[in-house]
Amino acid sequence: MVLITCLSNVATQVGIGRILGGNKFHYPVGQPELPPEEELRWRVSLLEKGLSALETPVKEPKVF
Amino acid sequence: MKVLHYLNQFFAQIGGEDKAGQEVLFIPGAVGAGTVIENALKSRGVEYATLACGDNYFHEQEEKALRAINDALARFQPDFFLAGPAFNAGRYGLACAKVCSWVRDNHRIPAITAMHEDNPGTKEIGRHVFVIQTGASAASMQESLKRFVLLIEGLLSGDATAVENFRAEHCLLLPRRFTVKSDRPDYVRAVDLLLAKLKGEPYQSEIPRIEAKAHLIPNLAGGLKDATVALVTEGGLVPKGNPDRLESSRGSRYFKYAIEGREDLRRGEFEAMHTGYDTSMVNQDPDRIVPLDAMRVLEKAKKFSKLHDHYFVTTGTGAMPSKMEEIGAGIAAELAGSGVGAVILTAT
Repeated sequence: MVLITCLSNVATQVGIGRILGGNKFHYPVGQPELPPEEELRWRVSLLEKGLSALETPVKEPKVF
Repeated sequence: MKVLHYLNQFFAQIGGEDKAGQEVLFIPGAVGAGTVIENALKSRGVEYATLACGDNYFHEQEEKALRAINDALARFQPDFFLAGPAFNAGRYGLACAKVCSWVRDNHRIPAITAMHEDNPGTKEIGRHVFVIQTGASAASMQESLKRFVLLIEGLLSGDATAVENFRAEHCLLLPRRFTVKSDRPDYVRAVDLLLAKLKGEPYQSEIPRIEAKAHLIPNLAGGLKDATVALVTEGGLVPKGNPDRLESSRGSRYFKYAIEGREDLRRGEFEAMHTGYDTSMVNQDPDRIVPLDAMRVLEKAKKFSKLHDHYFVTTGTGAMPSKMEEIGAGIAAELAGSGVGAVILTAT
């Protein structure tokens, strides 16, 4: 599991293994200021990072 | 030394369910379990009295019951107040918790009760009340009564270390919010607490810190090429109109919604139920909390085998960690049962 959140310090404290920084607290995988196509491109690249985090073995909380 | 002991109708040997409406009754001397404690404390010249109250009466007439208990305390002037043990009996446990908390707050004498950790009464325990841990049933009666005696002796001896040791070993540790009466406004108190914390000075927050339990961090077996990946969120995203009535805070349930055949989540078809964040940007484009559009792009690019046909959702605001743990376990079991190998979880 990878958690996408803006509160990576809290996620680390509770012991989540894979943590990925989201954009904003109220839209972790959004970037509304961008035009829709660019927002999607940004989101794809964020999720791609998430997928590579999933493939990375971890033993303790790690922020990607 | 005087001890006043609260029992329900059953343990006071008045009767069973048919006597659950019994009003508060003051009985001079010890009854039932109380006689064991009285005998153990005999050498200390104990004067014992019992309060018996029906399980239903207490909850239906709480104010009246507390008034009667208050009168008994005023007359008898006990040094110790005991209640239970209630084991896992819910109504009895709640009454023991409320009575002890009330007695401790209003009469400042040691209040001791005993119950099982799953007893709903544990949720109503106030500050400074001792809650001795018991088994779930009356099979642990003798052991529980010994502990009452041990604690009373510790308190009588004035040995603070012994009492703390007893608390650590035999009492339930119940982090509870409590109320602080302060003559300063709340914002001044909040800043004072913060300053004390920053300076490394002692301070006590009225909101307990809940320590996270350590848990395993699973690693993916094999690569993503063969894995089904699921989307999960605590962001409260539900189909427009919230058909299953997901709570917008203090969530107690989770739901799954089909995304099979969908390329993205459109405005007007989904909306977020969540009082913990400003949902307007998510409502404009729900992919900002459940990134279906991006996952479809990556699925087509064969970055993983398949996106699971449902996304899972709950509301992670204002909720009890214990409830969230239950919800998490439920979602995990369903995902594992559907052959999902990896999860992307978005949180606000």
